[in-house]
Amino acid sequence: MNAQDFVGILPLVILAAASLLVLFAAAFTRKLLASFVISLAGLAAAIVCAGIAAAQAPFTVAGILSFDRFVLFGIVLILGGTFFAAISSWAALRGRSEEGGDYFFLFLLSALGACILAASSAFASFFLGLELMSVSLYALIGWRRESGIGTEAAIKYLVIAGASSAFLLFGMALFYAETGTMDLARLATAAPGQSVLAPVGLGMILVGIGFKLAVVPFHLWTPDIYDGAPAPVTGFIATVSKGAMVVVLARAFAPALVGTGGVNGLVRESAGAVSAAFPWVFAMIAGLSMFAGNILALRESNVKRVLAYSSIAHLGYILVAFLAGGTEALRAIAFYLVAYFATTLGAFAAIAELSTPEADAGSIEEYRGLAARRPWLTAALTAMLLSLAGLPLTAGFVGKFLILRAGAGAELWILAVILAVNGTISIFYYLKIVSAMFRGFAEHGSGSASEGAPAGGGRTVASAALRAPFLAAAALAALTLAVVALGVFPSPLLSFIGSLTTSGF
Amino acid sequence: MILVLFIVAPLVLGVAGWVLGRRQAGYSRWCALAGNLFNLCLAAFLWLGASGVLSLPFLAVPGAGSPWMAEVHWPWVPSLGISFSLGLDGLSLTLLGLTALLGIMAVLSSWTGITARVAFFHFNISLVLAGINGVFLATDLFLFVFFWELMLIPMYFLIDLWGHENRHKAAVKFFLFTQVGGLLMLVAIIALAVLHEMATGTWTFALQDLMGTVVSPVIGMLLMLGFFAAFAVKLPAFPLHTWLPDAHTEAPTAGSVILAGLLLKTGGYGLIRFAVPLFPAASRAFAPVAIALAAAGIVYGGIMAFSQKDMKRVVAYTSVSHLGFVLLGIYAFTPLALSGAVLQMVSHGISTGALFVLVGALQDRIHTRDLERMGGLWAQVPRMGAAALVLCMALVGLPGLVNFVSEFLVLVGTWTVSPVATVIAGFGLVIATVYALRLFQAAFHGTPREKWTLPDLSPRETGTLFLAIVLLVLLGLYPAFILGMVGHTVSGVLAQLAAGGAA
Amino acid sequence: MPPQPRAALAGRELEMLTWTWCIPALPLAGFLVLAVFGGRFPRGATAAVGAGSVGLSFAAAAAASVLFILAPPAGGFSSYVLWQWINAGGFSPSLSFTIDALSVVMILVVTGVGFLIHLYSTRFMADEEGYSRFFAYMNLFVGSMLILVMASNLLLLYLGWEGVGLCSFLLIGFWYKDPENGRSARKAFIVTRIGDVSLAIGLFILATTLGTLDVKEIAQKATASWQVGSSLAVAVAALLLGGAVGKSAQLPLQTWLPDAMAGPSPVSALIHAATMVTAGVYLIARTNALFSLAPAVQMAVGIIGAAGVLVAGLSALTQRNIKRVLAYSTMSQLGYMFLALGIGAWSGAIFHLVTHAFFKSLLFLGAGVVILAVNHEHDIYAMGGIARKSPFTFWMFLIAAFTLASIPPTTAGFSSKDLILTLAWQSGGAGRVFCALGLAGVFITSVYIFRLVFIVFAGSPRAPASASAHGHAAGRDGTQAGAVMGIPLAILAVLCLAGGFLALPRDLGGSPYILRFLQTALPAGAIPEAPARTEWILQLISEAASLLGIPVAWLVYRRGRSSVPAPAAGVAHYLQNGWGFDWLYDRLFVRSFVWLARINTRDVVDRIFDGVGGLFMLLSRAFRWTQNGRVRWYAAGLAAGAVLIVAAVVLL
Repeated sequence: MNAQDFVGILPLVILAAASLLVLFAAAFTRKLLASFVISLAGLAAAIVCAGIAAAQAPFTVAGILSFDRFVLFGIVLILGGTFFAAISSWAALRGRSEEGGDYFFLFLLSALGACILAASSAFASFFLGLELMSVSLYALIGWRRESGIGTEAAIKYLVIAGASSAFLLFGMALFYAETGTMDLARLATAAPGQSVLAPVGLGMILVGIGFKLAVVPFHLWTPDIYDGAPAPVTGFIATVSKGAMVVVLARAFAPALVGTGGVNGLVRESAGAVSAAFPWVFAMIAGLSMFAGNILALRESNVKRVLAYSSIAHLGYILVAFLAGGTEALRAIAFYLVAYFATTLGAFAAIAELSTPEADAGSIEEYRGLAARRPWLTAALTAMLLSLAGLPLTAGFVGKFLILRAGAGAELWILAVILAVNGTISIFYYLKIVSAMFRGFAEHGSGSASEGAPAGGGRTVASAALRAPFLAAAALAALTLAVVALGVFPSPLLSFIGSLTTSGF
Repeated sequence: MILVLFIVAPLVLGVAGWVLGRRQAGYSRWCALAGNLFNLCLAAFLWLGASGVLSLPFLAVPGAGSPWMAEVHWPWVPSLGISFSLGLDGLSLTLLGLTALLGIMAVLSSWTGITARVAFFHFNISLVLAGINGVFLATDLFLFVFFWELMLIPMYFLIDLWGHENRHKAAVKFFLFTQVGGLLMLVAIIALAVLHEMATGTWTFALQDLMGTVVSPVIGMLLMLGFFAAFAVKLPAFPLHTWLPDAHTEAPTAGSVILAGLLLKTGGYGLIRFAVPLFPAASRAFAPVAIALAAAGIVYGGIMAFSQKDMKRVVAYTSVSHLGFVLLGIYAFTPLALSGAVLQMVSHGISTGALFVLVGALQDRIHTRDLERMGGLWAQVPRMGAAALVLCMALVGLPGLVNFVSEFLVLVGTWTVSPVATVIAGFGLVIATVYALRLFQAAFHGTPREKWTLPDLSPRETGTLFLAIVLLVLLGLYPAFILGMVGHTVSGVLAQLAAGGAA
Repeated sequence: MPPQPRAALAGRELEMLTWTWCIPALPLAGFLVLAVFGGRFPRGATAAVGAGSVGLSFAAAAAASVLFILAPPAGGFSSYVLWQWINAGGFSPSLSFTIDALSVVMILVVTGVGFLIHLYSTRFMADEEGYSRFFAYMNLFVGSMLILVMASNLLLLYLGWEGVGLCSFLLIGFWYKDPENGRSARKAFIVTRIGDVSLAIGLFILATTLGTLDVKEIAQKATASWQVGSSLAVAVAALLLGGAVGKSAQLPLQTWLPDAMAGPSPVSALIHAATMVTAGVYLIARTNALFSLAPAVQMAVGIIGAAGVLVAGLSALTQRNIKRVLAYSTMSQLGYMFLALGIGAWSGAIFHLVTHAFFKSLLFLGAGVVILAVNHEHDIYAMGGIARKSPFTFWMFLIAAFTLASIPPTTAGFSSKDLILTLAWQSGGAGRVFCALGLAGVFITSVYIFRLVFIVFAGSPRAPASASAHGHAAGRDGTQAGAVMGIPLAILAVLCLAGGFLALPRDLGGSPYILRFLQTALPAGAIPEAPARTEWILQLISEAASLLGIPVAWLVYRRGRSSVPAPAAGVAHYLQNGWGFDWLYDRLFVRSFVWLARINTRDVVDRIFDGVGGLFMLLSRAFRWTQNGRVRWYAAGLAAGAVLIVAAVVLL
């Protein structure tokens, strides 16, 4: 553990320190503001340090954390995501009576877990990060103790996450028993074993991973949790926890899939993978996730649940690039993560903006005629939804384009077409929300009783009256700008990503 | 450089109109109008240059080297081989002029009809027109898709916010149909770029570079179908037409004008500019199917038009029928037919656009589109009736109007390729007579079924329609005006086709 | 060299006839003026513009023909291009006019008779609303017809061709408030349109095979490249014939003409005499080269003509509507023209076209006066005794009737019809049959026309004709045609009497001026000169036939309602309905089409796409069933997924 290493893990250290500080602060002052400021400062500092650390990447720490520029990029993404989630949390929690210091403590802790997870190069760090992230999430999800669905969601998450962790752990054990390695990087490249233990172990590890990514068939929990958790936390789950897992997955499995091309190519013996089945498994997961996510969302009338389903589909999209493998795919994944982070966080920030401390604005009814009441917020949310739908002028369009390009590059024609088809299906429910928001917009005295006014009743009217605190508004504006800017001028980010991944791996 | 103005002008003035319009709605109208007027002048200016009346230094003579009169190449996303490339040739110029013209008609037609969110309305109009201009100019396939999708969103809002009874369903339907095609095309484009990269090792989405790409017949056919899907939906080709009646019917007048007059043309343009030149061999192989679809569409659309009660639906289905001629003309692969197809795009744009203006004006007065409630309107609004008469004759394809020339050229050009299709299409002309006369008589002849007291066309409406009618006649008597302008494009496409067909 | 004197130059330009474009341009200009400002004009101004434009056009036509006859241009025609119309892919028809003997004759008829009809209308329509609309349409009608006959290429001809169709639609449906009129108008346009499409397809073949649509070039290239009876020639000729039968209301596309009576009488006069129906005859004469290359088709022309003569003639016998009688009479007379064309007597057909224009317009204009006099009554059985009420009209009508029945002293019908019959006989073979049928037709003709005369003019008034109600349109005393309407009748009557001198049979000491003139443009045909004996025998027979018709008509129809025996009544009814063609077509085409349209109002294709959407919604419903919110279920899902993956990993 020399000085260099220390600089390397400085982001994590700062994060840990910040979380403790928040805890102390909470002990001294009941003001939410203090812990909020500390967290933001900590996150900002961590981001800066991550940038500094990038200078000496790649390097490994204590043999269980290995940082390369891509990982650090992922960490910055995670921290950034946490940063914005924190801001919208602040907006959402302000009205609450009891102090929320521990809220931010858990928040930072979870972020720390995500960072460790992203950087993990061994089973130990992998599991550590995963659990650190999840455990704090249990509490965050159920933060609204008075809300039934909140608590229910927390318990559900606890149970399912526990079960999946069990699978994960057991899988690791089996794998170790067979191959004698705990090195994550060798997960996929380990020489095919004599017995089936290693493949089975790997399969079980996948269960754990799949759960965090919320891909078919491990997606069932998603809508309930998204619905129950406070909007900012949901945003956090949708972005940070999944993002961290995508990063580690890309590092661990990409080698196994590099060169797999085309449906025909899939069966090609993938470079020394433990089992030739993985390309197939991932392909199935990707395809099913895209279809399941989008089709499930078609009839959903709760915006948060819609976003839950759409996140399932989006992870499916990412898996397509993941399957394609290679540098191009990695860049596509990186860009898509950025786009997905910005868009999803923005969407949930907007939802938080509409929510009251007691409950979130879920039902689509509450969004009816929003355009007439909150035009700017509507514009932001519309931009986010269109980006999720992958329409031009938004980051989502470029992201989808890159993924398709990667997929086509690997001749994954079928998956590419499936992606195209799903892109269309998803339009339907995104537009449903947009249309609802603009309902009655162009009618006289818009917001007229006919269709303008929300059936939800006075609650949203109240939330409409409730002015957005400047910071949250600024954050949302920033995210919107980012989404549009990335859609129109993706070049800078792309070249930056290119510089990250020139090495590939 | 000057080409960018076509896209920028509507955008800037659209935004300006939106901002100013928040204070005083009238400004937004004038801004939208100004944007189109500017583009019209610009197009006219370039037209003079292209036809040699003016000598414009920046206009190249399209030759073997480059088919473009003027080009723009700005790096956009170099790492992906994507550039902001525009190119202007006779075809683009013609359609740009048409866009500006119909833009003006659209704005004028909704001058008084739109009263809510006027500023936002005109912002959307300007935005969609900018997108259309982009489509007509883009020579980089990524940029093309970018504009292609860009057209959708404002048009969606136009239908969804200012449309009629079932606007929400129609808007989504329009969006979904177009999107399926669009994404399939995106996949095809990317695949083409990938194949090109595999062959040459360089990433590019430039049309000229990708044209050379050699692909196996099967892949070529698949990719071509990807393109065809997008354009066939937009055109629309039977049996992918069903979004059109809903969208056209529910859209506000201006929306219908732009939809029928311009958006449909992007489909034909795409086929001529991209689908055929990029995949000559596949296109040749596919031609019989396309011709069959075209013939089917001509007849089917005609019969459907006859069967409708809703005035706008009638007009919408006539579009299905008439765009069948465009498809027919394109896939006949003869100079006559292709010229006819291009001319048909123009003539249909003007005539149907004007027809929608008229129907809109009528609906503003009697608040119904149900033909069975109309009748005997001539006594009340003779000027409107006269205009309707001329426009219905345009539907019929009466000689003296440009519609006749285009349809005649298409059919002559198709005869040598497929007499059967030609005869079927010819039969379509009879059906056209049937539905056009029904449309006209049901509304303006007979005895009034209800007691309307209507004002005749206002000077603004009269002017709009008169402009369109005069154009129809002038072009009908001197179509060479346009045929000469697009001649080079036509021969270029066919040359490319012949070359590729041989390969 | 010395500068040429301006006068000479101008003179040459005049002789070049390159100014004749103004002949169609004048009526079209009139149309534009009336269409744009007509609403604001007083009736006088409207009448002036409407009739005046055609009058000027007639003056120009007269001048042109004089110049043409005095100084025939080289080759017997002068063509000139206004401007290039279309230029695409080597296909370059231009807007160009040709003046030759045929077009000279046609423009004289169209503008001359047209002008008289316009003049008549200025008074006839005086009480109608839409006065300016009427004249606008009429001018457009004449203008289109003039383009049709002056066009030097078939594409421009097609322009006029369709324009004529449009105007027939507009004028037949002039009284637009009555849906019946609208139906008739629609029918006229659609039925002829069917023929037009056939013609258009013919043009496609010509354009693609010969690469030109210029009539003269077609004649040369076709005769050069196609041998007689070649499939292409037959196809083209047949398709052109399809167009001709449509416009000229011959079998099987004749059904629109009887209904075309819905329009005002002057319109009928214009359609039947000057424009529209003669177009088909003109087309065939114009493209005679193609028909000569396709003997089979030319024979078909003759057969259609001969059949038309009888079919229409017999139908005319049984009509109750005065104008329907005349309509069927037109069909049967056009039959004679087709018959002539069928045997290659091109000039003869055109000559009959001219004389027919005289007497048929006179008949219709006369009928118009009668109809006004009996208060817009069309049923002849409700008329009667008109002769006493308006002797002038009666005499005019009688002259026309004699001409139609080709009875001296009127010469027009006599000389043209007998010319055709003689030539038919001379051409031998089928021609003799045609001749026989033609002679039968002569008899029928005279029966139906005198039936009309007796019922309408003889006897005593049957309907209470409140003459004064619209006296002011029909003249002060309510029975006499007013001067404005009378003069055209008189002029036409004179033409009927004297028209025959254009080509009096040789045995009556005449000489075929017009035929010789026409033969500078049309081939003389290979029909041998008829020996005098044949000629006068045929004349005797036909005269006997037509004279016999008068007493027959008197005996049968004297008492108005025909006293036909019961069994014949059914036949009569059948004939009255035009041999049931309408009935048949209605069943075959109209209803099936409407049915086809009705069953699919809601676009079955769309239902398919709805199905796709519904399918996804159904799937969604099914999937959502898995989202039941039960933890144990979710856990089970997790486990199941694990099992699946492990299984896959192990098995694959």
